[in-house]
Amino acid sequence: MTTSTMDVGLTGAIPDDEILVRTRGVTKRFGGLVAVNNVDFDIPRRSIVSLIGPNGAGKTTFFNMITGAYVPTTGQIEFDGQQIVYMKGKKLRSRKPHEVTAMGIGRTFQNIRLFGTMSALDNVRTGIHVHLKSHWWDAIVRTPSMLNEEQSSIDEGMRLLELVGLERRPETWARNLPYGDQRRLEIARALGTRPKLLLLDEPTAGMNASETRQMTDFIRKLRAELGLTVLLIEHDMRVVMGISDRITVLDHGEVIAEGNPAEVRANPRVIEAYLGRGAAEA
Amino acid sequence: MSSATKQVGSGIGGWVGHMVDAAAAIPGHYGNLLAKRRGRTIALTLLGLLALTYPLIYNQFLAGLSRNVFPLPVPDETTMTFMLIFGIMAIGLNIVVGFAGLLDLGYVAFYALGAYTAAFFASPHFGSISIVLFSNVVSGFPGIHLPFWMILPMAVLVAATFGALLGAPTLRLRGDYLAIVTLGFGEIVPVFFKNLAAITFTFTIGGVTLISLQDVNLTGGPLGINPIDPFVILGVGFGATSGVAAVYFAMALTIIGIIVARNLERSRMGRAWGAIREDETAAEMMGVNTVRTKLLAFALGASFAGVAGAFQASYLGATTSDFFQFSTSILVLIMVILGGIGNIWGVLAGAIVLVYIDKTLLIWLGQRIGSVAPDFPNPSQFNFLIFGILLVVMMRFRPEGFIPSRQRAAELSVHGLEEAETAMGVDVETDNVSVAPPGQAELDREAELPSDLDDL
Repeated sequence: MTTSTMDVGLTGAIPDDEILVRTRGVTKRFGGLVAVNNVDFDIPRRSIVSLIGPNGAGKTTFFNMITGAYVPTTGQIEFDGQQIVYMKGKKLRSRKPHEVTAMGIGRTFQNIRLFGTMSALDNVRTGIHVHLKSHWWDAIVRTPSMLNEEQSSIDEGMRLLELVGLERRPETWARNLPYGDQRRLEIARALGTRPKLLLLDEPTAGMNASETRQMTDFIRKLRAELGLTVLLIEHDMRVVMGISDRITVLDHGEVIAEGNPAEVRANPRVIEAYLGRGAAEA
Repeated sequence: MSSATKQVGSGIGGWVGHMVDAAAAIPGHYGNLLAKRRGRTIALTLLGLLALTYPLIYNQFLAGLSRNVFPLPVPDETTMTFMLIFGIMAIGLNIVVGFAGLLDLGYVAFYALGAYTAAFFASPHFGSISIVLFSNVVSGFPGIHLPFWMILPMAVLVAATFGALLGAPTLRLRGDYLAIVTLGFGEIVPVFFKNLAAITFTFTIGGVTLISLQDVNLTGGPLGINPIDPFVILGVGFGATSGVAAVYFAMALTIIGIIVARNLERSRMGRAWGAIREDETAAEMMGVNTVRTKLLAFALGASFAGVAGAFQASYLGATTSDFFQFSTSILVLIMVILGGIGNIWGVLAGAIVLVYIDKTLLIWLGQRIGSVAPDFPNPSQFNFLIFGILLVVMMRFRPEGFIPSRQRAAELSVHGLEEAETAMGVDVETDNVSVAPPGQAELDREAELPSDLDDL
């Protein structure tokens, strides 16, 4: 199955109201190392955008700045019209990761980080946690509102498990699920945070060809059914080329190319970054 | 939980209705259990009944038998009360250590705070003032005398506040570093109480003296504070001389503690604590406010020790800083680990067993040995040696504790998990038994080690 990709504009050429994420001049230094350098990046709503680049190009660092885990050294990050990074006095501050999650950014991890000895359902319900209102004193006396909220979180969790195809074993511990199911559970947990933007860090790493195809179909389905915007880090070029509306290539922390899959594939700087100078000239 | 498909009505009426429904469902549940796992259900029922009636059995029958016929190593009323006091503390520490996975080595500090709260507000210590409220102490008697139902909430509040205060500087610390800071706090508080017997302190700004204290005796120093009023309900006191009454009072407190801890475990807070225990960074990324959640664990855990401390002080009628040594923190931690970290019933069992060994078995052994060989050293001097050996033996043969939580059991051994689930009446799902190839456990452990932001 191939869906035609959306035609989305390049950074700087998208109307404001269609932008979900906008970064300007984002730089992150670790001591003397510049991990991400002056990155301008727009993500249009309901698009699937990939971030690629060789190892150490700064992709995950960029991810971590969007989610609030790292504070950029300089730059602006705006999500859905709200600032994630702001100035406090003379220092650049970032919203805390849990606040960013509440704003509507859900993510998965490069190496799966589920809550191993919690059930699949409880993993998803931990994702929903940020939207639950009951307090600890409600929990102690079991107030009706708390019990109803718990029940609705179970219902929502089961719906999400069904969406990713794990509804048959909701009580199984996360660590005892097969690898592919763990990847899907991580996505269900991220969906539990009710995101507008879903960040997937190498969702098909370690999967075989048919699992990979299922995963790409699933990501498309997420956009189609839930209206999500997806930002993807991925090494598997077939996945990237097949699924992305737009690809941004990072190398040594800088954007070296941006465009639709065909353009990026033909870009000599990209070929050089991946295969070396000789390959680009050949 | 999963059976409650219908919505619960709102407001007080809804709550009462729900509680009535829940109570009405108990006989049905019990019948189910009886049908499914007959032997185990009957055994647990008998155990529960024995626990409820033991104080009376002891009082009516065993005490006389032990005194007149043959000395038996049966726990007396004081031991029973202390079993429950330590049980409350173990349940509280289990919230911090077992649920949230934060190692707290200074737990005794909150025990001390609870005890001194009772000492300040229910004793003649502050003799220059006289406040008597709802107390059976004669009005006009020197000192502050408040009833227990005011003392207990105050002890909870004080301990929880200090729990949060201790938590605040440790929020960025993990593992060993956290343990060291809590250890420091546990040392500071008793020393503080020991030394605040003669405070002389003047605070002056611009020639105006704001505070001037001359030789103020706040805590009674090494002598402590006594007498402290016992808790009283309808004229029945629950002091050390009340025997069975105090045991039942402590039992009521323990049951409330069990319900509170269990309800917290099965709520969004419990899940958030579990998430932090499993992977703090991932929890934060999934929207768990780790700062607030960890502070809550510290504060709620500490409040249990506050209750235990206040009851202990009023039970004994006295408190001194000697009660609150570092070794008490370690003792409660051993109870949690031996009993089964993360499992409320396990840690309660740990407390009961250790207090029994400490206060009954070793003393009885000492008397038996003493009557035969008077020169032989008394085994109760070696209580911590014996706890140490017990701990080593348990770690070797059953590291997950007497009654383990399912999480711990699975982390530590496949075998232990099956046993635990059989013991707890949970069907052994093969799904939940990680059948790892030899050496896999070590690989897993190594993979868990670097859990910093760098490997996101």
